[in-house]
Amino acid sequence: MTTKLFGEPIPRREDPRLVAGAGRYLDDIDEPGQLAAAFVRSPHAHASIVDIDVTGALEVDGLVAVYTYEDLAGPLAQPLPLLIPHPSLRAARTPYPLAKDRVRHVGEAVAMVVATDRYLAEDAAQRIRVTYQPLPPVVGLDAASKAGHLVHEDVPDNVSAHLVQEVGDAAAAIAAAPHRLHLELHIERSASMPMEGRGVHARWDETDRSLRVYSSTQTSTSLRFALAAKLDLPVDRVEVVTPDVGGGFGVKIVHPWPEEVLVPWAAIRLRRPVKWAEDRREHFISSAHERGQQHSVDVGFDDDGRLLGLSVKFLHDNGAYTPYGIIVPQVTSTQLPGPYRLGAYRVEFHSLYTNTVQVTPYRGAGRPHGVFVMERTMDAIAAALGLDRTVVRERNFIQPEQMPYDQGLIFQDGRPLVYDSGDYPAALRLAKKLVGWDEFTAVREQARAQGRRVGIGIACYVEGTGVGPYEGAYVRVETTGKVVVATGLTTQGQGHETVFAQIAADQLGVPVENVNVVTGDTRRFAFAVGTFASRAAVMSGNAVAAAAGKVRAKALRIAGEALEVDPADLSIVDGVVSVKGTPQAAIPLASVAVLANPLRYAFDEQAKQATQFAVGGGIHRPPVAEDDEPGLAATGYYSPVRSTFANGVHAAVVETDPETAEIRILRYCVVHDCGRLINPRIVQGQVHGGVAQGVGGALYERIVYDEHGQLLNASYMDFLIPYASEVPAIEIDHLQTPSPLNPLGIKGAGEAGVIPGAAVLAAAIEDAEGIPVHRMPICPSELWELRNADHR
Amino acid sequence: MAEPMHEVALTVNGVPRGAAVPARRLLSDFLRHDLGLTGTHVGCEHGVCGACTVLLDGEPVRSCLLFAVTVDGAEVTTVEGCRSADGGLGPVQQAFQDCHGLQCGFCTPGFITTVTAYLRENPDPDQEQARDAIGGNLCRCTGYQNIVASVLRAAQLQRGGAG
Amino acid sequence: MRITGEAGLRAPAGEVFKALHDPEVLVRTIPGCRRLDLVGPDSYTMVVHAGVAAVKGEFAGEVRLSDPDPPHGFTLHASGSGAPGTVTATVDVTLVEVDGSTVVSYAADAEIGGMIGGVGQRLLGSVATKTAAEFFAAVDAEMTGAVGPAAVEPTRAEPAQKRSFVAPVRPRPAPATFLAGAIVGAAAALLGALVGGLVATRAGRR
Repeated sequence: MTTKLFGEPIPRREDPRLVAGAGRYLDDIDEPGQLAAAFVRSPHAHASIVDIDVTGALEVDGLVAVYTYEDLAGPLAQPLPLLIPHPSLRAARTPYPLAKDRVRHVGEAVAMVVATDRYLAEDAAQRIRVTYQPLPPVVGLDAASKAGHLVHEDVPDNVSAHLVQEVGDAAAAIAAAPHRLHLELHIERSASMPMEGRGVHARWDETDRSLRVYSSTQTSTSLRFALAAKLDLPVDRVEVVTPDVGGGFGVKIVHPWPEEVLVPWAAIRLRRPVKWAEDRREHFISSAHERGQQHSVDVGFDDDGRLLGLSVKFLHDNGAYTPYGIIVPQVTSTQLPGPYRLGAYRVEFHSLYTNTVQVTPYRGAGRPHGVFVMERTMDAIAAALGLDRTVVRERNFIQPEQMPYDQGLIFQDGRPLVYDSGDYPAALRLAKKLVGWDEFTAVREQARAQGRRVGIGIACYVEGTGVGPYEGAYVRVETTGKVVVATGLTTQGQGHETVFAQIAADQLGVPVENVNVVTGDTRRFAFAVGTFASRAAVMSGNAVAAAAGKVRAKALRIAGEALEVDPADLSIVDGVVSVKGTPQAAIPLASVAVLANPLRYAFDEQAKQATQFAVGGGIHRPPVAEDDEPGLAATGYYSPVRSTFANGVHAAVVETDPETAEIRILRYCVVHDCGRLINPRIVQGQVHGGVAQGVGGALYERIVYDEHGQLLNASYMDFLIPYASEVPAIEIDHLQTPSPLNPLGIKGAGEAGVIPGAAVLAAAIEDAEGIPVHRMPICPSELWELRNADHR
Repeated sequence: MAEPMHEVALTVNGVPRGAAVPARRLLSDFLRHDLGLTGTHVGCEHGVCGACTVLLDGEPVRSCLLFAVTVDGAEVTTVEGCRSADGGLGPVQQAFQDCHGLQCGFCTPGFITTVTAYLRENPDPDQEQARDAIGGNLCRCTGYQNIVASVLRAAQLQRGGAG
Repeated sequence: MRITGEAGLRAPAGEVFKALHDPEVLVRTIPGCRRLDLVGPDSYTMVVHAGVAAVKGEFAGEVRLSDPDPPHGFTLHASGSGAPGTVTATVDVTLVEVDGSTVVSYAADAEIGGMIGGVGQRLLGSVATKTAAEFFAAVDAEMTGAVGPAAVEPTRAEPAQKRSFVAPVRPRPAPATFLAGAIVGAAAALLGALVGGLVATRAGRR
């Protein structure tokens, strides 16, 4: 392939639309006769529903319908799907679309109101009186594991899942080790918090009995199948279209949400378009959260700091339901080892129910917790032995020549966790250089002399990306010479319109401006998985390359026939197929597209070239050969045997205020290796955004429940997403270790920036303060408490 | 329980517009759903995120915190009105593309209106001032670094530099 | 769906039974009733403006009373259809006299289809209960004289066997805008018929 566009930081093709206010997000869809939905949600964390009195809602002019569980029938009256079953998930529970008899978290939907506009729907919702019998709530991992009260009556220990993986005999290795440490480490709950909440718009066409659903989702294809099943419709009568999506970060991969099935269901019943756009408070209390885990670590190591055995037991708070199975704790448990040879490793987790919002992946999806645990352990070993923290890491790194490296674990895709490639020592060397690690001792001392406290931290990670099972793409050259690319996975700001166009344009030898990319529209491409786990570039990127490669081969064949030359002697440049070295012997790709579709009817001037009396060829063979298809088009799929593994190192310098305990990030450095870069500018943007979320997760953001299960900070005023003033300038260096697993040599980049955030900032604060930091996030008052505790 | 309606007439992006709305209609909803100007986005509904920022008589305001009836007779500029005179992208819009100052694009309209107003008063900000200028808007995608660069680039474009 | 309820009327059972079979009373008391035509013994056609909340419109329907057991009860069969949907209902009505007053109990088994059937059971039930209450209150007022004679006399548009009763124009209280349930409730009363689905509503709004 040519490499003209691949690797170029070209500007994004989606931007002219988005910067002009011409994007089309879910709530931008308005059409005549449209109704609006609002939801009555539980104010209790745990309660029985005694009665629902809707009489008051009748006073609202514009009210159209009120639905409760009793209105649901058939598959819709069943719990929502368990999306990712796993043998260890022994007590999976998923919610009903509307609560049946019992609510298990504040925010669970109890009734749905439909009215002529959203204001009126909310008026009516407020007038519905639900009588609850409150039940004792289970909040926090301690309460959940004590199981004094139960979230689900039939789950006696509140445990949804229990999983152990062990490589070697960790207990024996630790017992026999010359040095041992025990650590208790905590990560608190946070949430994806995209700027745009969830939203659904549905339109039912009674004439042809078809449903079109727009959803702000990370998977349109799977939502389509889920809707067909839940609404008992043939799949080909359901289309799901993803409009512009205002961020996802994991929360929108869950599907079908209660609202996602109820809004289309209401549209069918009412024969009117219905829309629901989530408001910010709803998003806090009724979508999904992540992160909250408690880890108990035992590690054994030798005099040089080499790991001999690591045993980690942790508790994972999965909230009230488990629609996404055990993915988050499973990823934590398997990505925790990072770039290190562990010796023996045992990991055991219990996933526990609490009366809180369900927990499903948020960017990083379990990795930030695992990296926090591993890297805190590395720092503890260094401290115990009086070694430089980077030296301990270097001594434990898997070396490049050991690739592919099998960690002996089963990954989230059910396949062996085998690192495909990477140069961890090189990444660390780059990071040390970038941040000035070796010179920092002097910096620290100098600052101390001035009464300032500064500290440096470093954290390494390995990230499984590009998880299967597959993605596909359709590529067609139109008779105008324009190229249409469709892939089924969705886009929430990753620049897919640009990077997939770069790949297709390179393959086909056309200007990138001539390529139009569509994602997340089941009308255009039906088979896909979704956008999550840093997989889009790897999966759809390679699928686009595969489809475009087939189109290229076909174009060369047809052009070869037309020009009467060997296709091997042809090249395509700027949309023209020509004989290498003889550029005057040429045919535009547009004309090849015409010839690729034998015609009877000359519907336009161009079409005449392809009609039956215009084309040559033998009269004794079919116009379309048996192994061919009409059109200069092809579909390609990419299905890897296993995930690729990106890696990186972050280093940060912080300053803490001796008086106020305020924490300021002075420098934040990133070395990132995601294989070959399709568009460095976009990868850099992904890293920036990830780091901002990592900083938020380390210093500002947390979801706070009180003992009653009330979410105390369900607004942007209290859940502190960093502003520009809180996010430091980010310095980036890239390594490019191509993945051997796919033709493009790429690995995913979407989550990398966020993963080591808590680990690296905890390390830097610890270094500045000289006090162990075992719990993140940390705010100034908590640091102040730590100082006080340390002095006692 | 029908709500009394109020005529609201104002100038939006230089064009006289109007509609009859209830007194409680938020300016953001009025612009989006009554006037069809959906470029203005609503991220938090309580004035924190800044996605809904529009210019009211030239000053940035949170349109989710204003009732439409309170701006009768005013002049409002939304992101749709930040184009250049020839209909192409305005300098701030162009700068955001040039510097990859957006990803999902949801918060972007609020940044573009905010920066447009800021640069009118401060046509030549330095790096730190550029960061301060966007200090009241939330972005969940970009980490702000490229938005800061976009502010500087926009200033450059407005001064006529091609860069 | 099943809708049950009861109402107390301040008149002996015999009078209540009679009132519930008197088209002139019914046309005045059935919420939203625009027109009531007697088409046979205890058999009526009706036009009711009804609907649930914003789903409303004219329903045309038939009501038939059967199994009369004066003054203890009767059964009402109602069916109606209109732009908002369709309603068929069977309503068992029981009258029990206590100290000169009457407790009317009704149990309706209603099938509600079309758009109006899609608005949710609790909403329908709530509207029905409310409309039935409104209906019985109106009947009670008729019998106790709490309300004077209607401002407009019912019109008798047709000869004996086919008489029409047109409801007087009167302002309705704002909240009474519902129907479906209403219908059912009312149906119970006889209205039941109308029940059909209907519900009284603010005529002429929207």
